Amino acid sequence: MKREVQRKRMLSVAFALISIFYLFPVFVVLMNSFKSNGSINTETFALPNESSFMGLQNYIKGMTFGNYPFFKSVFFSFFITVVSSALILLCCSMAAWYIARVGDKACNTVYYLCVFSMVVPFQMVMFTLSRTADKLALDTPWTIPVVYLGFGAGLAIFMFVGFVKSIPLEIEEAAAIDGCGPIRTFFMVVLPMLKPTLISVGVLEIMWVWNDYLLPYLVLDRNQYMTIPIHIQYLKGSYGTVDMGATMALILLSIVPVIIFYLICQKHIIKGVAAGAVKG
Amino acid sequence: MAEVILRDIKKVYPHSETKRTGLFKKKKVTEQHRVSHLKITEEGVVAVDNFNLEIKDQEFIVLVGPSGCGKSTTLRMIAGLEDISGGELIIDGNVMNDVPPKERDIAMVFQNYALYPHMTVRENMAFSLKIKGLPKEEIEKKVEEAAEILDITQYLDRKPKALSGGQRQRVAIGRAIVRNPKVFLMDEPLSNLDAKLRNQMRAEIIKLRSRINTTFIYVTHDQTEAMTLGDRIVIMKDGEVQQIGTPQEVFDHPANLFVAGFIGMPQMNMFDAELVRDGDKYCVKLEDFTVELSKEKTERMLAKDVQSQPVTLGVRPEHVELAKKGVDATVDVSEMMGSEVHLHVNVEGKDAIIIVPTLDLESSDFKMGDKVTFNFGGNVAHIFSREDEKNLEW
Repeated sequence: MKREVQRKRMLSVAFALISIFYLFPVFVVLMNSFKSNGSINTETFALPNESSFMGLQNYIKGMTFGNYPFFKSVFFSFFITVVSSALILLCCSMAAWYIARVGDKACNTVYYLCVFSMVVPFQMVMFTLSRTADKLALDTPWTIPVVYLGFGAGLAIFMFVGFVKSIPLEIEEAAAIDGCGPIRTFFMVVLPMLKPTLISVGVLEIMWVWNDYLLPYLVLDRNQYMTIPIHIQYLKGSYGTVDMGATMALILLSIVPVIIFYLICQKHIIKGVAAGAVKG
Repeated sequence: MAEVILRDIKKVYPHSETKRTGLFKKKKVTEQHRVSHLKITEEGVVAVDNFNLEIKDQEFIVLVGPSGCGKSTTLRMIAGLEDISGGELIIDGNVMNDVPPKERDIAMVFQNYALYPHMTVRENMAFSLKIKGLPKEEIEKKVEEAAEILDITQYLDRKPKALSGGQRQRVAIGRAIVRNPKVFLMDEPLSNLDAKLRNQMRAEIIKLRSRINTTFIYVTHDQTEAMTLGDRIVIMKDGEVQQIGTPQEVFDHPANLFVAGFIGMPQMNMFDAELVRDGDKYCVKLEDFTVELSKEKTERMLAKDVQSQPVTLGVRPEHVELAKKGVDATVDVSEMMGSEVHLHVNVEGKDAIIIVPTLDLESSDFKMGDKVTFNFGGNVAHIFSREDEKNLEW
């Protein structure tokens, strides 16, 4: 009994240390976002004091920097993230349902291609991809979700197929007898049952698209369209000067929506991951 | 309420890796098909062959047989969940071979309930009516009525996961009855329940049947369910119908050795015996014991001009009695069942069971190795050909 308590205490300490280790960079960013550039460079890990504290000045500077309005970047980031994730969730869940249920050679080939695409690094295809996106007029925020759909499909289909296979076929047969065609069966029966996986995949895709820098940087016309990561990169001035305070402030602002999203969906995310673990 | 006719129904799974089923109607051929004794032709694996049955309006038909015999496949073909490879399926006068499930006006209860987990009981039951586009008030009324019949009114707002197995099965039945279908299909609906609940639900189905006048087609591998529920029973093996008849008919006059062994609990005793024809009389000889067959059996055999031959003799355990003269046997195991004792005996290397009512015994204490003698009447002996295993009377 005593040993068990001791073991639990040890684990708590270990996990607390790991949590601190993970949170520390975020804390450093938060701290430095309120400090002057000079003190960020000289006393990076020190708390803001009377002389270094800048209030919200870094935030204002970051948001008003340059000719490109920050809120426009926020809008594009938001639009691309929402549309891409929605597209990935919808198309990939449908495709996964078909792949899992039909399971013929063509479907298996598509499935393995999707799985294979997960191991291909983006850097390997980025040049040809940006050229193709250019030619196909996929270089705007309104069309870039199609590119994201292609890249996100691998993981999403892999996860959805695993989950769909665990759903008893009889439920869909019951729906067919109850009067549903394939489309109704998917939207009224299968999709609601996919909720845990939808949330897990959704979180992964949203975080990926929101934080993605390279793909929009290569594909989008940067004079017209910028996402938050590209906007932050523009705070780096000529001759290597970087406005660290403003950069920290914008980095923090870009993290906030993801944190809020996680807090709202936390319960479902844990459920989804657990469901995947049991049924996968 | 409808008449269902199955004419020369056939199901063949082609020689490929997949078979068709479900919404997209494709599924991998299971190992079960490969290891069972199903007929394999050039076309593929024959899961159901030459199935002929006329089901009367409001009749309760039970398809029974061991696993892999094609009973569920037949039911699924009636439901439209499986393509029909050959023959004709007629429901209420209309050929339904290529009609999608939703247009057949049938309802089906699945073995694992197949309830929609994200919907409440009420939503589950109302689902098909909602799809049909019925007014809300009517849906509500029908759901309430069905819930009352099945005594699940208090669970209407619960999700399926908050219900026990028996309650879930009731919801599944409720979902089927709200539709007031022409044909009610049930695919082993009680096999996921424990023994006590199964007996209870069996009685509920009998009650339900008297309340809703519709045609029932019920699939089970449990012969007790088949005997208690069915107006007629269809016994299947390896995709072929072995016998169709009322429970009493299949029990009293099994068409072949398989039916004789499948129907009845404990299983019918089988012995190697000799059928002897002496003019217009038939006797069956088992070791030194000879018994003359009854008048009815003799007449039926004479009509078929059955000659003397080695046969398989079948006698049900409840029709065997301990006697002073008869066949000698050695007791292997004695099972005290309360009102009766099941004696497992050995007759010349063959196992047999004798059911002895405890009232007939002075002492029910049989020990292993005890010698007993039993006999039986000529009216309860079933004579099967050794060549084709068919009942020689029919």
